Amino acid sequence: MKIVYTDVLVIGGGLAGLRVAIGAKRRGHDVVILSLVPAKRSHSKAAQGGMQASLGNVIKGQGDNEDVHFEDTVRGSDWGADQEVVRMFVNTAPKAVRELAAWGVPWSRVRPGDREVIINGQKVTITEREEAAGLIAQRDFGGTKKWRTCYVSDGTGHAMITAVGDQAIADRIPVHERTEAIALIHDAGRCYGAIVRDLVTGELRAYVAKATAICSGGAGRLYRVTTNAVICEGIPTAIALETGIAALGNMEAIQFHPTGIFPAGILVTEGCRGDGGLLKDADGHRFMPDYEPEKKELASRDVVSRRMEEHIAKGKGVKSRFGEHLWLDITLLGEKHIRNNLREVYEICHYFLGVDPVREWIPVRPAQHYTMGGVRTDHTGESPTLKGLFAAGEAACWDMHGFNRLGGNSVAETVVAGMIVGEFIADFCDRAENAVNIPTRLVQEILAAEQAKLDALVGGRGTEDAAALKVRMQEIMTAKVGIFRDGPVLEQAVAELEQLLVRSRNIGLRCKGGGANPELATAYRVQKMLKLALCVAYGAYTRTESRGAHFRQDFPRRNDAEWLRRTLATWKSGSDTLPTLAYEPLDVARMELPPGWRGYGAKDYIDHPATAARAAEVEAVRRRMAGADRFAVQQALMPFAHLLPARLRGRNERIDERF
Amino acid sequence: MANGTHRKLRLHVMRYNPRVPGDAPRLQTYELEEADGMTLFIALTEIREKQDPSLQFDFVCRAGICGSCAMVIDGRPGLACRTLTKNLGEEITLAPLPFFELIGDLSVNTGKWMRAMSERLEAWVHMRAGELDLTRIEERMDPALAERIYELDRCIECGCCVAACGTARMREDFVGAVGLNKIARFRLDPRDARTDADYYEVVGDDAGVFGCMSLLACHDVCPKNLPLATQIAFVRRKMAREGLG
Amino acid sequence: MQARADVIAGVGLKDKPRKSRWPARMDLAQSVTGLLLGLFMWGHMFFVSSILLGKDAMWTVTKMFEGYFLFGRPYPVLVSFVVAAVIALFVLHALLALRKFPANYRQYRAFSAHRRLIRHGDTTLWWVQFMTGFALFFLASPHLFQMLVHPGLIGPFESADRVWSGGWWPLYLVLLFAVELHGGIGLYRLAVKWGWLQGADADASRRRLAVAKWTLTAFFLVLGLATLAAYMKIGYEHRDRAGERYVPARVQPAPVGGGGQ
Ligand SMILES: Cc1cc2nc3c(=O)[nH]c(=O)nc-3n(C[C@H](O)[C@H](O)[C@H](O)COP(=O)(O)OP(=O)(O)OC[C@H]3O[C@@H](n4cnc5c(N)ncnc54)[C@H](O)[C@@H]3O)c2cc1C
Ligand code: HEM
Ligand code: HEM
Ligand code: SF4
Ligand code: F3S
Ligand code: FES
Repeated sequence: MKIVYTDVLVIGGGLAGLRVAIGAKRRGHDVVILSLVPAKRSHSKAAQGGMQASLGNVIKGQGDNEDVHFEDTVRGSDWGADQEVVRMFVNTAPKAVRELAAWGVPWSRVRPGDREVIINGQKVTITEREEAAGLIAQRDFGGTKKWRTCYVSDGTGHAMITAVGDQAIADRIPVHERTEAIALIHDAGRCYGAIVRDLVTGELRAYVAKATAICSGGAGRLYRVTTNAVICEGIPTAIALETGIAALGNMEAIQFHPTGIFPAGILVTEGCRGDGGLLKDADGHRFMPDYEPEKKELASRDVVSRRMEEHIAKGKGVKSRFGEHLWLDITLLGEKHIRNNLREVYEICHYFLGVDPVREWIPVRPAQHYTMGGVRTDHTGESPTLKGLFAAGEAACWDMHGFNRLGGNSVAETVVAGMIVGEFIADFCDRAENAVNIPTRLVQEILAAEQAKLDALVGGRGTEDAAALKVRMQEIMTAKVGIFRDGPVLEQAVAELEQLLVRSRNIGLRCKGGGANPELATAYRVQKMLKLALCVAYGAYTRTESRGAHFRQDFPRRNDAEWLRRTLATWKSGSDTLPTLAYEPLDVARMELPPGWRGYGAKDYIDHPATAARAAEVEAVRRRMAGADRFAVQQALMPFAHLLPARLRGRNERIDERF
Repeated sequence: MANGTHRKLRLHVMRYNPRVPGDAPRLQTYELEEADGMTLFIALTEIREKQDPSLQFDFVCRAGICGSCAMVIDGRPGLACRTLTKNLGEEITLAPLPFFELIGDLSVNTGKWMRAMSERLEAWVHMRAGELDLTRIEERMDPALAERIYELDRCIECGCCVAACGTARMREDFVGAVGLNKIARFRLDPRDARTDADYYEVVGDDAGVFGCMSLLACHDVCPKNLPLATQIAFVRRKMAREGLG
Repeated sequence: MQARADVIAGVGLKDKPRKSRWPARMDLAQSVTGLLLGLFMWGHMFFVSSILLGKDAMWTVTKMFEGYFLFGRPYPVLVSFVVAAVIALFVLHALLALRKFPANYRQYRAFSAHRRLIRHGDTTLWWVQFMTGFALFFLASPHLFQMLVHPGLIGPFESADRVWSGGWWPLYLVLLFAVELHGGIGLYRLAVKWGWLQGADADASRRRLAVAKWTLTAFFLVLGLATLAAYMKIGYEHRDRAGERYVPARVQPAPVGGGGQ
C-alpha cells in the first residue's frame, strides 16, 4: 500500500485549487494537487464572460469601488451571503486581477476615445478617458451597478487558468493528474488527507497531509441538463459529507441559466436576448410576453428560466429523442450582426448543432449552471467542524454568494479565495501543533476499507445498473428539483432519490476488469452523487420560502423571519438515506447591509424581526459620519480588515482614487 | 429541423488496453442510430451508457474548449466533442491520438506530455525580479498587443498539432507546434523578461524550431485555428538570427 | 544586465553551458544551398532549353559559358569550375538533408504510415521531396560527373548525341521529374518555412504560393520535356555521325573573335 506524504493536499486543479497551491507553496510548504484531468482542463476554463473586480477603469465603471461591489454582491445573494466574507472578497478582487495581469493574463485593455455599444438593445456611443488608456477594461454584466467585469475577449477563464496553471508549473507544484479523491482520512475531528484512486491503473493510494483543501468545483452533473463539464460531479464535496462531521452549506441553492443549447447544455450568451433574440415554443409562438408582458425575454435569468420550464410543463416544448426543448430565434438580427457581434454563438451553433443561426432556430432549454452551496467553511476557508479540512472555490460555501451568485463573481471568488485561503493554510501548517500524528496503521485501515468497498462492487452480486441509476437521478433532479420547486413534487423527488440511493447499494458491474474500469468509477460516484442530490432535494423541500435562485411556487416570498438561515447538511451514518439538516442563523445585528429589497424581482418579502433595528442603527452611523471618508464609515459599520491575511489588507488604488 | 428516419451509424473504435496482459489492438464496431445534432461526444457516451461500459475515452467540457477529447477521426486528429456525426459517413473510424502515451482505447496522456513540454520550455511568464505591489494600478498595455497575445494564448493543449506532425512521429523529442507557439506567445509578451538568447536555449536545436520541417499539418488541424505556420516561421527567423549573432 | 542575470538565474540557466549555435547555422545553410540549387536549376533549364530556339542559340549559350565571347576562344574548364561549385553545393545540401531523413527503418515506417493515414497535402509533399531528394543523389551524380570531366562535350550535337546515342535520355527523363518536383516543392517550402511573401492572411498567401509552385513546376516540366524531345530528335537524326562536333555555319571554317548575336 502506497502512502504519499505532503504538507498540503489540494483536491482540484481548477483556478481555486491552483491558486491555493501556489499560495501555500510560496510560503514554503510542500503541496500536491490532485485532479481528475490535467489542471488546465478543469472547468474554470469554460468561463467566458469575465471576472468582477472594482477597478473602475472604463467610463461606465467610473466611481466603482469596493462598496458598490459589496452591495451588488449582497443584494445578488438575496442576503444569504456572509457579509464579512463579501467584504474580504471585494477588497481582494482588484489585487487578484492585478496579480493575474502580472502573471501574463492578456486582459482586454481600454482604448481611449469613442466607441459604440449596445445597452438594453439600444446603440449608444461612449467615450473612454485618456487616463485609462491601456488599463484593464471592464464590461457590463447582469446585476451590477457599474461595469465591473474584467475580461479577456471571449475566453476569460481559459486565459486565467492558463496563466495560473503556468505559474504552478513554474513553482514546481506537482499535479497528480487522473487521480480521484474517493474518501477523506480523518480521525477524532481532524482531517489528514485523502484516499485516492489512480484513474489509469485503478490503484488506491493514501495521501497524508497536514492540511487538505477541497477545490473541486461545482456538482452540475447531478442534473441531466447542465452547462457544467462532465467531470463536475462534486465527488469531493460528497466525501466531505461522508465524514459525518464536515457540513455542507446551502446545497439547495442552485443557479440555472435560461439558454443552454439542447441537448448538449453548452451555454450561449445572454447577449442573444439582449440584442433582440426571441424565445419560441413548439408552435413557433413567442410565449414570453404572455408571462412577462413588461420585460418579456429580457426579464432576469431566474425569471426567464422559470417561465421556460413552466411553458414546457404545459406541453408546449418541442419533443426530441433527448427530451423537450424550446427555440431561441435570432434570425431577425441579421447575418452581419450575428457574425460580428455574436461570433461565439455562431460557432457553437455551427460546431455543436450543425445549425446556422442566421437562418435556423436554436434549440435551447434552461440548464443547471452553478452550485452556490458546498463545503461549509469559516472565513479562513477551514471547516468549523473538521479541523485541517479547507475548501475554496465553487466547492466551498465560504459563503459569498448566498442564494444567488452574480455573473463574474465566481471566477473572481476562485482566485481571491485561493489567495486568502492559501495564506491561512500556510499559517495552519506553520503551527507546530498541526503536525501530522496519525498512526500509519490507521491510514492503512482506512485505505483497506475503501479498497474493500470497491472490491465488493466489482466482485459482488449486485443487479443494479450504475449508468441507469445515474441517468434516473439526473432526470429526477432536472424535472423535480429544478427551477420551479413545489412541496409535493419535491417530496416525491426526495422519496425517489432515497429509493435510488438504496438501490445504488446493490449495483452490479458488467465490466469486471481491474484497472481504469470506467463502469466502476460510475458506480462509486453515483452512490456519492445521490447523497448530494438528496442534500439538494431535501434542503429545497425543507426550505419553505423563496430566496435567490431557490424558488418555491408554494412559498413564493422570501421569509427572513424564519429563513435568514444557512442550511447545514451532514450525513450521520452510512446507513442513512437522508441527510441531517441543521440551520445556522445569519446575524442581522452585524450586517453592514441589512436585508431589504434587491432592487429587482419581487418586492414582496417577510422581514426579520431584527432588521428594522439594525437598519436604523446603520442609518444613524451613516448620518453621524456624513462627510467622513468611506473607509471610516465602513469600519464603523462592520470591521473586516483584521480577518484578512496581513499582506492583503492594503487599499486599492484607482485612477480616480490614489493613496 | 430534419426529423423522420435516421441513419444507422457504425463506429469502428480502436480498442486496446496496454495494461491488460495479452490484450492486442483491435477495431471494435458499435452500431447506433443517429439523432439530430449528434456529436461524437453524444454518440460515445450513449455507447458507454447502453452498450459497453468498459470503453475508455476522455471528455471534459464537451464544448470544444478544454482539449481533452482529441482523437483521430477517420484519419485526422480533431476534437470529438465538436464533431457532428452528420458531417461524417455512416462508417466512422476512431483511434486514439498517436505519439502520446496510450492509457486505453481512445484515451491518451496528453496532459503528461504537455506538462513536460511546459517544464522544458519554461512556458510561463518570467517576471522581473522584485515583489509586485498589488495595491497599485496595473501596468498599461497596448490594447492591440493584448489581443495579439490572446490570439496565441488560445491554445488548448489538445495535442492535435503534435499528432498530425510527421516530424514528431520520427523524432520523439520534438517540441511540436504547441511548444513553438508558446515561445512565440511569451516572446510577444512584454511582461516576460527573457531575451532571444534565453529562448534559443530552449528551442534552438533540432528538437526545437530547427527540427520543424514545415509540414504544416499542425496548422491545418489545429481546432483553435491558431496561426501556427506564421508563428513557427517567426520563431525560426528570430532563432536563426540569434544563431548567427 | 543585472536584471538579465536574475532572469537567467531564475530560469536555472545561469551556470548551464550555452547551447550550440550550429543547429541555426545548419538550418540556414540547408535553406541557402537549397535556394541556390533551386535558382540554379531554373537558370539551367533556360540555358539547356535554348536548343528549342535552334542549334545556334544553344551553341552560343554554351560558348558564352566557356568564355568564348570574352577571351576569343573557348575555355571549357570554366564550366568545370561552375560544375565544381554546383557539386559542392549539391553535396553540402545533401549532407544537411541527411539530418532530416528517417534515421532508421522504424522512423521510416512511422512516417510513411502517418502520411498514408493523414492524407495531408504538405506532409505528402515532404515525402515526395524526401523520395526525390534521395533519387537525385543517384541520378544527378553521373550527370554532374560527366559535366565535370567533359565540360567541352556540351553543344547542340554533343549533347544530343549523349542523349540519344549515348543512351542518357532515360536518366534525364527521370532526373527531370525528380528535380522539378524536388526543387519546386523546396522553394515553396522555403517560403512557408521562413514566412516569405506572407500577406495579412497567411492562409491565402499559402494557397497562392501553392498555385505558383504548381504552375512553375508544370512550366518547367513542359519546357524540360520539350527540350529533351528536341535533343532526342537531333540526336536521332545525327546518330550516324555521332561524335561530330557542332560548328555554326556562320563561323565556319574556324571561329574568329567578336562574333555572336
Ligand atoms: C459555461 C460556464 C460559464 C461560466 N462563466 C463564468 C463567468 O463568465 N464568470 C464567472 O465568474 N464564472 C463563470 N462560471 C463559473 C466558474 O467558471 C466556476 O464557478 C469556477 O471556475 C469554478 O472553479 P473551481 O476552481 O472552483 O473549480 P473547477 O475549475 O471546476 O475545478 C475543479 C477541479 O477539481 C478536480 N476534481 C473534481 N473532483 C475531483 C476528485 N474527486 N478528485 C480529485 N480532483 C477532483 C477537477 O479535476 C478540477 O481540476 C461559468 C461556469 C460555466 C459552467
Ligand atoms: C542529393 C541530392 C538532394 C537531396 C538528398 C536533397 C534532399 C532534400 C531534403 C530531404 C530536403 C528537405 C529538407 C527539410 O525538410 O528541411 C531538401 C530541401 C530542399 N532541396 Fe534538396 N536535395 C537534393 C538536391 C537538391 C537539388 C538539386 C535542388 C535544386 C533544385 C534542391 C533544392 C532544395 C530546396 C530548395 C529545398 C528547401 C530547403 C529548405 O527546406 O531549407 N535539392 N532537399
Ligand atoms: C553546373 C552544373 C551542370 C551543368 C553544366 C549541366 C549541363 C547540362 C547540359 C549541357 C544538359 C544537356 C544534356 C547534356 O548535355 O547531357 C543538361 C541536361 C540536364 N541536366 Fe544538367 N547540368 C548541370 C547540373 C545539373 C544538375 C545539378 C541537375 C539536377 C540535379 C541537372 C539536371 C539536368 C536534367 C534533368 C537535364 C535534362 C534536361 C531536359 O531534358 O530538359 N543538371 N545539363
Ligand atoms: S496549437 Fe492548436 S492543435 Fe496544438 S495543442 Fe494548441 S490548440 Fe491544439
Ligand atoms: S506539422 Fe510539424 S514539421 Fe513543423 S510545421 Fe507543423 S510542426
Ligand atoms: S471535451 Fe473539451 S474539447 Fe472536447
